[in-house]
Amino acid sequence: MDRTLKTRLEARLADRLAGPIRQRHDGTEIRIRPADMVEVMRVLHDDADLDFAILADLCGVDTGETMQVVYHLWSSKTPDWLRIVAEGMPREDPRIATLTGLWPGAEWMEREAYDMFGIIFEGNRDLRRIYMPPDYASFPLRKDFYLADDAARSPGGGVRHMERTSPPVQATPGSVRRTVRP
Amino acid sequence: MTTQAEPSQHRSEDDPRIMLHGQMGQYEQVPPYPPRTEREAEFYTLGDGEMFLNMGPQHPSTHGVLRVVLKISGEKVVDLDPVLGYLHRGVEKLCENSDYHHIISQIDPLEYVSSLFMEWAPVMAFEQLMDVQVPRRAEYIRVLTGELLRVASHALFQGWMALDLGGLTPILYSFIERDEIVEALAALTGQRMLFNYFRVGGVNGDLNHEFLSRVGDWMSRALVEHEANIGLLNENEIFVRRMRGIGRVDRDTALRMGVTGPNIRAAGVPFDVRRSHPYSVYPELEFNVPVRGANGGGDSLDRYLLRLDEVRESIRIIDQCLHEMPDGPVMARLPRLMRPRPGRAWAAVESPRGLFGTYVISDGTDQPFRFRIHDPSFVHLQLVGMLMKDNLIADTMAVMASLDPVMGGIDK
Amino acid sequence: MNRSASPASLIGRVVIPLLLIALVVGPVAVVFLATVIGPWVVGVVNSNLGILRFVLAIAGVLLFSIPAAFIIIYMELKVIAYMNLRVGPNRVLPAGAAHSVVAGLKVLTKEDFTPNGADRIVFTWSPVLVFLTAVMTFMVVPFGPGLVGAPLNIGLLYLFAVGGMSVVGLLLAGWSSFNKYSLLGGLRSAAQVVSYEIPLTLSVVGLILLAGTLSIDSIGRQQAGWVWDWFVFRQPLGALIFFIAGVAEANRTPFDLTEADSEIVAGFATEYSGMRFGFLFFAEYVNVFIMSALIVTMFFGAWNAPVDVNWLLRLVGVGPLSINLDPGQLGSSLMAAAAVVPLLATLILAAPVYLLRRHRPAWQALLAGFLLLNLLVLGVIGLAAYMDWDWVAGLVWFMLKSFVFVFVFVWMRATFPRVRIDQLMGFAWKWLLPAALLNLFVTAFAIVLIKSAGIN
Repeated sequence: MDRTLKTRLEARLADRLAGPIRQRHDGTEIRIRPADMVEVMRVLHDDADLDFAILADLCGVDTGETMQVVYHLWSSKTPDWLRIVAEGMPREDPRIATLTGLWPGAEWMEREAYDMFGIIFEGNRDLRRIYMPPDYASFPLRKDFYLADDAARSPGGGVRHMERTSPPVQATPGSVRRTVRP
Repeated sequence: MTTQAEPSQHRSEDDPRIMLHGQMGQYEQVPPYPPRTEREAEFYTLGDGEMFLNMGPQHPSTHGVLRVVLKISGEKVVDLDPVLGYLHRGVEKLCENSDYHHIISQIDPLEYVSSLFMEWAPVMAFEQLMDVQVPRRAEYIRVLTGELLRVASHALFQGWMALDLGGLTPILYSFIERDEIVEALAALTGQRMLFNYFRVGGVNGDLNHEFLSRVGDWMSRALVEHEANIGLLNENEIFVRRMRGIGRVDRDTALRMGVTGPNIRAAGVPFDVRRSHPYSVYPELEFNVPVRGANGGGDSLDRYLLRLDEVRESIRIIDQCLHEMPDGPVMARLPRLMRPRPGRAWAAVESPRGLFGTYVISDGTDQPFRFRIHDPSFVHLQLVGMLMKDNLIADTMAVMASLDPVMGGIDK
Repeated sequence: MNRSASPASLIGRVVIPLLLIALVVGPVAVVFLATVIGPWVVGVVNSNLGILRFVLAIAGVLLFSIPAAFIIIYMELKVIAYMNLRVGPNRVLPAGAAHSVVAGLKVLTKEDFTPNGADRIVFTWSPVLVFLTAVMTFMVVPFGPGLVGAPLNIGLLYLFAVGGMSVVGLLLAGWSSFNKYSLLGGLRSAAQVVSYEIPLTLSVVGLILLAGTLSIDSIGRQQAGWVWDWFVFRQPLGALIFFIAGVAEANRTPFDLTEADSEIVAGFATEYSGMRFGFLFFAEYVNVFIMSALIVTMFFGAWNAPVDVNWLLRLVGVGPLSINLDPGQLGSSLMAAAAVVPLLATLILAAPVYLLRRHRPAWQALLAGFLLLNLLVLGVIGLAAYMDWDWVAGLVWFMLKSFVFVFVFVWMRATFPRVRIDQLMGFAWKWLLPAALLNLFVTAFAIVLIKSAGIN
């Protein structure tokens, strides 16, 4: 935990933070609105005090209620990983600006998030499916994606899916079975 | 190539009993659908004297099942478009539907040449979720086995590198070196390739006699054998000339492209997760972070040589681990069924290919709500398209092999 | 069926008339052959002896090239295996000696596949062209003194003309396959072979000036004597250039761009299967042998031994041997010796085998003794033949030296990575060609200088 990072971030990004800064173990987490993402990233990347030079990860998250895009950054100025959560995108039409202007290497990670969650990164020059076939219609990592054999029910859930006599509850598109508090 | 207006039937020339749709020699255009993005439209438009060369998914030198569409003009590569997904198994979805202990074995075969690192990152993330303190002996064992596997992985890289450039012999010498390490790890973990050894809160089983005697035996001649193996390639004029000046990545490009691991260190950036964001017991160990190509950026040869430097550093770390191995338990006390409190954790390790990270969201059940795997090879493969422009077809192999991608990790 | 209808069986009904016909026709035919056709055939043969000899030579060369390729393939598998610290083929016969033969038979049984869109005629015949050009160059290679298929005066010219034709076959194979890898492979081979043809030819011109002939046979003859009489010591640069360009001509590592498996899969051979692939494959190894044979012939003393045998014999006090035994002159004592000596020798040779190890059955010792005797006799006969028949000695030396170079080819394959196409072309035009020209000019200048100085 790097307390100074928290104060630095609050000083730089006060009005753009959508929630409190949380710190746990070796990570600091900030929450922003998708519309502010590029500006926040530019500040984090360009500011000499912050200097987040390395984009460690970019991924989509479906919380069951909204869509998030989560970025992990690394800087030589702090011992913490910085997690930026751009949250609050509607699940029906998740849209966010692309990060390829700052980190061209984000292109494929955005393609992956599009492929798996259907998040549209506006401005990405090559936003097509990367893993799934081009004619594939659904987005497999969304929480309403129907798993055919429903291996989802865990032994910890009390029932072993292999022992079940009746088929699992039919998941209709749009029905979300697990959610997490965003 | 022209498109057929209406498909008519023709007799096959090989077997006249078979009727074919469409006349022989006429094929669908590539791709068979209207281009979806600007980039795709640009790529799949042929200029004057250019043609597509479809390399893969079954090709000798694509390190797995990668398909690369090359747009070539003579021997020169104008542009290329890697097409992934031939090995996609949906590991993230699988992990989100298995409990925390199962995930270790689900994620193991991602990068099958360095699978301990694939276990290390999620295990570290789960430990953060559970707030577990890992015993020091377990941490030392993790570092020891991890560095052994790093040597094995880099040894294999060296062999593949030579094989992609047409050298037959080094790959077999590499496999001998790798085999000694893997056999030692098999004595410890019970398996040769997918070890499934790390556990949340420690490792599965303490060091045993056979492992230590094998490692000791190997350590007594590791450096000598390493030097002997690299002599065949490093002193070979053809090999060095094939690699030098090819696929140059400068510092800024490397940072912007999200490159990590040996590839970014070969571009002059001393970014090594073991030092830049220390985890486990790495802060206690002495080792250097080798950097090459500090001025003007690194080429394929730099990336190759840097991995050889890393092998020497890894052998140093192994030596220290063996000497300073503390006593104590190898597992923390944990409930059999793990239900971490809701929360998020990110953990990254330095795998032989770069930063391997996992991001886990727990919703309080025994399965992660979201399990994200960040694989370095995936990011590095993007570079190929950028580096290959205006090089020759043969250089595609030199560049791609020097970035050392493993398709299991890329396709997840 | 009504079997009693005819007294003779079906066979009888056919055979008996045939026998009758044969009885009538046979003598007539014999007479006809002896009086009309026989003389005609003999006359034709006599008047076309050259052609007949040529045809026989072609048959011999064709028959020789296949086993040679088999041996080289096996050698490549085994030698590279040992260099890689592997075992290599070890299933068929001891040490897998017949592995390549079985692999060749396997190739024969494979489906002969033609891809859709291929130019069928060209696709079918280009492997034949490749193989034939490889084999045709054998015609002028002297395997020993006088052991040459066609002793042409312009042997070298023929060699380069025919050898250069193989590129046509490779190009056609690559083009007709309707495959982009094949096309690239074919074009690469065209560029490569045509480029290296020039230094290859120029490197020999210095040698031609020295030897004063284009006949390969004559070049071989001029290198008789001691090891320092070989042309390699008078044309070291030429030999080096010839070797390098020869490796490139044979499409071998490090110049095997035409079939670079990590780049263009198998190059021009990508779409080939079955015996068509076999032809391409054999042609490669035949080419390896030819290149080795040519290097040996032109620079490493051809069939001549590295030592002057006759000089040595004279030193010992023996003239050139010639054994003239007439079985008719053998006396009774010699006949008796011939009957007794083998028995005695077998026993004598068996004795140490029997005595050296206890518990060895006597029959085994006797067998060993008998085999040893046979080996001894074979050795004596071989030695006599060596003294008497120049061509046997020549063949032995020639093969020995050729296979040394084949081994070098294989060794290079196990050691070197592949060069890139621009490095390949640059090396040919920027280094080999000037070096070959330099070699030529220096040689010519030296010859003029020596001649004008009146030495020799």
